Amino acid sequence: MISAVLFYVFAAILLVSAAMVVSSRNPVHSVLFLILAFFNAAALFLLAGAEFLAMILVIVYVGAVAVLFLFVVMMLDINFAELRSGYQRYLPVGLAVGAVLLTELAIVLGGWKVSPEAVTLRLSPRAAELHNTLQLGRLIYTDYIFLFQAAGLVLLVAMIGAIVLTLRDRTKSRHQNIAHQIARTPADTLELVDVPSRAGVASIGILRPKPAPQPEQAEASTGHAEGHH
Amino acid sequence: MIPASLVTFLGAFFATPAGILVLTVLKALAILAPLLTAVAYLTYAERKVLAAIQLRRGPNVVGPFGLLQPFADAIKMLLKETIIPAGANRVLFLLAPMLTFALAMLAWAVVPVADGWAIADINVGVLYLFAISSLGVYGIVIAGWASNSKYAFLGALRSAAQMVSYEVSMGFVLVSVLLCAGSLNLTEIVRAQQHVWFCFPLFPMFVVFFISTLAETNRAPFDIPEGESEIVAGFFVEYSSMAFGLFFLGEYANMILMSTMTSIMFLGGWYGPFGLLPQLGPFWLIVKICALLFVFIWVRGTFPRYRYDQLMRLGWKVFLPASLLWLVLTAGTLLAFGWLPRA
Amino acid sequence: MNWTLALPEIVLACCGMAILLIGVLQKRDTFHLCSMLTVGAFLITAELVVSGSPGLGYNGLFTVDTFSTFVKLLVLVAATLGVILSLDYNEHANLRRFEFPVLMLYSTVGMLVMASASNLMSLYLGLELQSLSIYVLAAFARDELRSSEAGLKYFVLGSLASGLLLYGVSLVYGFSGTMEFARLAQALSNPAHVSPGLTVGVVFVIAGLAFKISAVPFHMWTPDVYEGAPTPVTAFLSTAPKVAAIALLMRVMATPFGHLLVQWQQVIILVSILSMLLGALGAIGQRNIKRLMAYSSIGHMGYALIGLAAGSEAGLRGVLIYMLTYVFMSAGTFACILAMRRRGRMLEQISDLAGLSRTDPGLALAFAIFMFSMAGIPPFTGFFGKYFIFTSAVQSGLWTLAVIGVLTSVVGAFYYIRIIKVIYFDAGGAEFDHCPASLSVVAAAGALFTTFFFVLPAPFIAAADAAAKALLL
Repeated sequence: MISAVLFYVFAAILLVSAAMVVSSRNPVHSVLFLILAFFNAAALFLLAGAEFLAMILVIVYVGAVAVLFLFVVMMLDINFAELRSGYQRYLPVGLAVGAVLLTELAIVLGGWKVSPEAVTLRLSPRAAELHNTLQLGRLIYTDYIFLFQAAGLVLLVAMIGAIVLTLRDRTKSRHQNIAHQIARTPADTLELVDVPSRAGVASIGILRPKPAPQPEQAEASTGHAEGHH
Repeated sequence: MIPASLVTFLGAFFATPAGILVLTVLKALAILAPLLTAVAYLTYAERKVLAAIQLRRGPNVVGPFGLLQPFADAIKMLLKETIIPAGANRVLFLLAPMLTFALAMLAWAVVPVADGWAIADINVGVLYLFAISSLGVYGIVIAGWASNSKYAFLGALRSAAQMVSYEVSMGFVLVSVLLCAGSLNLTEIVRAQQHVWFCFPLFPMFVVFFISTLAETNRAPFDIPEGESEIVAGFFVEYSSMAFGLFFLGEYANMILMSTMTSIMFLGGWYGPFGLLPQLGPFWLIVKICALLFVFIWVRGTFPRYRYDQLMRLGWKVFLPASLLWLVLTAGTLLAFGWLPRA
Repeated sequence: MNWTLALPEIVLACCGMAILLIGVLQKRDTFHLCSMLTVGAFLITAELVVSGSPGLGYNGLFTVDTFSTFVKLLVLVAATLGVILSLDYNEHANLRRFEFPVLMLYSTVGMLVMASASNLMSLYLGLELQSLSIYVLAAFARDELRSSEAGLKYFVLGSLASGLLLYGVSLVYGFSGTMEFARLAQALSNPAHVSPGLTVGVVFVIAGLAFKISAVPFHMWTPDVYEGAPTPVTAFLSTAPKVAAIALLMRVMATPFGHLLVQWQQVIILVSILSMLLGALGAIGQRNIKRLMAYSSIGHMGYALIGLAAGSEAGLRGVLIYMLTYVFMSAGTFACILAMRRRGRMLEQISDLAGLSRTDPGLALAFAIFMFSMAGIPPFTGFFGKYFIFTSAVQSGLWTLAVIGVLTSVVGAFYYIRIIKVIYFDAGGAEFDHCPASLSVVAAAGALFTTFFFVLPAPFIAAADAAAKALLL
């Protein structure tokens, strides 16, 4: 009973927040509603007994992906009025596509019958004695290892793509070379000079400790100087 | 002497749904009340330790040895006015500190303070803790954005990038612990350390984890989201009174939480050192937490703040490869010697 | 579990990672080295494909048979040609980056998986691996607006197509309870038990796959992407992925949904007719040769689908032969297009070809051979491809389809031959830059295959025959 009530509560919040994602005027609010929707989806997973999926949903989507969404949306100055300018014009098309999909869904649901041949074909019967983290692990790393690795390749390509399309070697930025910094000794940079009393620095002929250093040292010293920013 | 009828009545009552609810609330109170006191005294301890490091005396006026100082601070904060800046997003501005504080409290639901002493001893306790700690970033980001101030926003962006970066290597560290323990349940993880604490075989990971917790809680030397010298106070520059107080409480509660997590994952939780000394309820866990908190403060007193690029470099170019490598090593060793825990 | 079934894919993926490491760790420019290593990896993979033994593995996710072997070899040949075509262009266009061949390699891994997929999930992952790499490749000239636009457009529309495909897959799974091809075929063996929901699912799957082969009405992206992407990417895009996607469509339609021929046949026929018409009519007005090739490829996919619509063994064999001839024609044509460079600037207008017969007779001849072949004029390969397709359609009683195909071929011949007219009879411009060896090799290989296929067609036809038989088992 309680779980049924909880299910309806979470499902209702999920639907409302999903609707708010697309309808709210402020994009930051949209992302926050999206996060709320994720949370409720996670709660539904929990109710269904899939605690591993629920936690992973929160960690991956809420904890990482949505943070980046939020990051981007906050940084961008999106003009929503402009984005909505085509709204009126495209509304009929959108509605038509939506209506077609809805009718199809209705037909599909109306014709829901499982063919008798299919009943025996359930892909992965649940082993009741194991909790679902273990079950998922077994399935992913044994039966579906091929898919798991292929998905890994897809992610690798995504990573290569992101780097290839955005990484630029910035020649102007001064990189810190930590090895250089640590390898320096006081003798490289410091010179102790006895200054005669009451004669001033000018009397010993230097105002700066050392003249132009070698290029390698120059790099090290700029790195160091930067370190004190 | 408790009359027998009362015992039976209570037994029956706690079996009903309402009774279960009351019991849960009582359990939550039993953990939250000491926690909040601990938070209050952590601020006091921090000031005293820092003072000692800097050869000062620290708070010593309010009460004996300044012991009532945290309460004085709390009363001061409660009595001040909450100022909401013009142009701020009111709802989110007030939501952010509540969120931070609530999350810091929520995580404690699964923490086993002693064998069997957890409010909810769930199967995926580690994931729950990890999920909650990864949500902490929202309080900060929302606060920074809702304040409508550039310093706050800069602080929020820094913090978001920082927390997301360090979570990755933290995740890998957790996986190597899980490999050794063979369970996602926190109690099981502690039990797996009855004889050998994981901080010995996994020492490098222990160090990585501890440093990552510093970054995750935005503590020195990774406190660039609030770096006073550059962006005033970062994401909570616009906050005052209890809204600020909630951030403050949240940050310290998170420190305690992270220390607890480290103790549970690496330092054998409630077990005494090497099994030599008897197990005294939560005593050893509290000792370990205090020791780690001392290190938190010690680090703050002795290290200069990292620069932003140095922080990112450490996270992505040092910790991530190191933790990945160690993960592979751990898995390989466990497999090669047949030490994998049975599921 | 017989994991060696996927040995070619595993080896190729590992080679990719090794090449990536070499590229990252070497400080100097490694584009050339990595490209050569990629070609080497393709050769090794081809050897493994040939020596592999047939079977079904990985819990029913992956199958190796003569069909997959045929398709994989063709894909590897096409990909090799693609890498060779990119060598010279990338040097000049300042795209000398080692990630280019690596992305092509991973795209090829995706295609190999597609060729062997025997489960809707491995189908989807192969397709995504293939497409994702190509999205990136299309946007590879990131400082150029056209290229970025092409990449983005392809990505957005491709994601939409993937969404449709997944929707279809989920419907199929929901109504049949399995995603394995063999079990699906078994579950659907009695068409009377098939619910309309499943038919809707199949249609969505077809829509998703039709996008990948740029068949009408899912062709909108093709001209823009072909024009905007760097030309070697366009060359790659128009050969290997087309083969893999057509092969995938053939396997999905023939194996799991083979009993539903009546349901999907009309859809394929419609898509085929529309593609042929649009390919023929859309190309007429084009001035840019890359756009023209886009419409031409839409038309060619329409012809290939005729064979699929026939649903018979002869039809499937026809499709395979068609794809074989198409790969060589298309790669050769793009080699010629890539040779269109004057004083370091790439040219893309058809009018730029004027007078080519006098300035560079060899290139002009190659161009003419490919155009004649595309138009389907004997004795070039294009004719044989169309011949097998049309006869199979007639055998299956699809007269209308065959007639429309012949008519659109005639229209198509008009614009192909117009290019030959520009090359041979129009007053010319200045000479092109010297054609680099890599392009000459590809153009010559393509031209030789296209011209002399009729001398020894038997082994190819026999291979296609065996492949088609494997599919209908």
